[in-house]
Amino acid sequence: MSPSDRPQRLSSLIAGTRGRVVRVALDNRDRAERLTALGVTPGAPITVLQRFPGVVFQCDQTELAVEPAVADAIFVDIDEPRDQVW
Amino acid sequence: MSCAQAAVRDESADPFLTLRSRPRRIALVGNANVGKSVLFGRLTGQYAVVSNYPGTTVAVTQGRAVIGGEVCDVIDTPGITALDGALSEDEHVSRRILEDDDLDLVIQVADARNIRRGLMLTSQLAAFGRPMLLVLNMIDEAHAHGVEIDTAGLQAELGVPVLETVATEGRGVPEVRLALGHGAVLERAGLQSPRDHARWAHDLVVKFRRVRPHSAVRWQERLSRAVREPLTGLPILALVLYVMYLAVGVFGAQTLVGLIENGVFVRYINPAAIALADQFIPWEPVRALFVGEYGLITMGMTYAIAIVLPVVATFFLVFGFLEDSGYIPRLAIFSDRIFRAMGLNGKAVLPMVLGLGCDTMATMTTRVLGTPKERLIAVLLLALGVPCSAQLATILGILGGISFAALITLFGVVLLQMFIVGFLAARALPGERSEFIMELPPLRWPQMRNIVRKTAIRVRWYLGEAVPLFLLGTGLLFVLSRTGGLTFVTRMAEPLVSGLLGLPPQAAGVFVMGFLRRDYGAAGLFQLAHAGQLDAVQAVVALTVMTLFVPCVANFLMMVKEQRLRPALAILGVVTVIAIGTGAVLNLVLRGLHVTF
Repeated sequence: MSPSDRPQRLSSLIAGTRGRVVRVALDNRDRAERLTALGVTPGAPITVLQRFPGVVFQCDQTELAVEPAVADAIFVDIDEPRDQVW
Repeated sequence: MSCAQAAVRDESADPFLTLRSRPRRIALVGNANVGKSVLFGRLTGQYAVVSNYPGTTVAVTQGRAVIGGEVCDVIDTPGITALDGALSEDEHVSRRILEDDDLDLVIQVADARNIRRGLMLTSQLAAFGRPMLLVLNMIDEAHAHGVEIDTAGLQAELGVPVLETVATEGRGVPEVRLALGHGAVLERAGLQSPRDHARWAHDLVVKFRRVRPHSAVRWQERLSRAVREPLTGLPILALVLYVMYLAVGVFGAQTLVGLIENGVFVRYINPAAIALADQFIPWEPVRALFVGEYGLITMGMTYAIAIVLPVVATFFLVFGFLEDSGYIPRLAIFSDRIFRAMGLNGKAVLPMVLGLGCDTMATMTTRVLGTPKERLIAVLLLALGVPCSAQLATILGILGGISFAALITLFGVVLLQMFIVGFLAARALPGERSEFIMELPPLRWPQMRNIVRKTAIRVRWYLGEAVPLFLLGTGLLFVLSRTGGLTFVTRMAEPLVSGLLGLPPQAAGVFVMGFLRRDYGAAGLFQLAHAGQLDAVQAVVALTVMTLFVPCVANFLMMVKEQRLRPALAILGVVTVIAIGTGAVLNLVLRGLHVTF
């Protein structure tokens, strides 16, 4: 299995990357609950829109802005493995 | 509605008016920014303030109306993200409304584009066992984004009525009225965990929703991108601020104020009032109370109507446009880092920007922030630094006439002071900040009707709130000036006002006014400046001190309400000391550097 087949942290994806949410890290319950309530749930389609000055992404039909620590906790299965992923 | 009419119609199968022992209670619930307040307005004919960002409704609104032949109490609730788990204050309020035995019907409003989130809430609502309707609002936007929903299929699956609406245009609202009597309880097995809700919603989304990849709203996407990326977003922000300055600072504070103050008050109203008073009021003290130096009409009403009102009105017009466009929450992306250093997160941009309209309303809006510590810091910063529209009026009016550098100095000092205080408060106060997770509402072209309506409500509110205090303050000044109290206060405050701040002694009276409402104090400064009694440096120092004061009595009372008495008193003390201290330092620096603006 190549590395890009494994779920990636949202914080590591460049703008334009599309994929699906695999899971949200559970180390911070409050954060996980808030994200779930906003629709960041397993299976939801996700697109990275911007990384700086904050991470902005579209999850399903909701546009969300988060700080880096939150983007770190969201794991994404990317649609087409791309070389640009770092 | 007459009884005769009801009697005639009563013969038909569908009674025109049904009477019960009490009105039917209907609660509107749903995620934030889905249009609950718009639907509330459509159902009851009452207006609740509507904007395009989450957290506009911070308190429960109730309206009584006759809907479908029944007297109904419709309850508009703040937006919620969940009803289980760790709940915010608003969510507890919504829970209590749902648990109330008298509640007859729940109307869940969902954003048709976002049915996944709506359905997750539906799943949690099922636990309350209330008859409900599901309203998919903004169906037009969903279609524009290529989202198609099989409403009939969803209705059959859920067993509760599902309706499509465009509440802002009233589309689908008659159908909602008709369906009020047909609410059904959603039968769900006892699933409780967030994961179950999410899975249930996900399955329904997969089954009943299709998203076409190409949307018809490319301009929205392009604009949205331009606004949030730093390279284009920061110039756009500068442009927005400049347009606001032109509208509020130049057109409102100079053109309109000049027109109303000189054209109406100085030329017609005040002379007429003075003539009337001279003719009909024989006692000089009473005459002076109305039309003297500290007269209710010549001073109080002139300040309130001629100087402050035009700016408040123009500000709220422009501000309403920004609110409804969905632009304001996007500023959170740029400000998140700065706010994090101050123990807050980007979300705090909402109350701070709202504070430019009115600090009292904004203090109430701090409830959207995540933790008690964040709310306390935000309340403190609002009280300290954010000038409300009425005060912006006087700042722009006075300093706009001096120089742009004077304006920059004032805002620079105030922003720096806010940052320092926020930075220290973040470290000194116990507690945590919450993480920045914020929903960005779609960018929309605002509806002029809503902006005008909202502005009218806010202006009326301003008149109701500010004018009595202006009059009270004028009356107080009048009494002080008559009894020699003003001379006493002026003499007592002289070391502070003249010594420390380098201001003329008359400024003491202005600060007395500033304690009631700082815009009122600033309006006093406006007059002093016009009379040539303030030089440029004095104007900047005096306005800086006034800006850093606690905004007004109403704001203080709201602080007490939101934070309780002791924290509010502490904030009042801290803010007053900082205001005077900053003014003293600024005076020394400006004099020392021989700045003249």
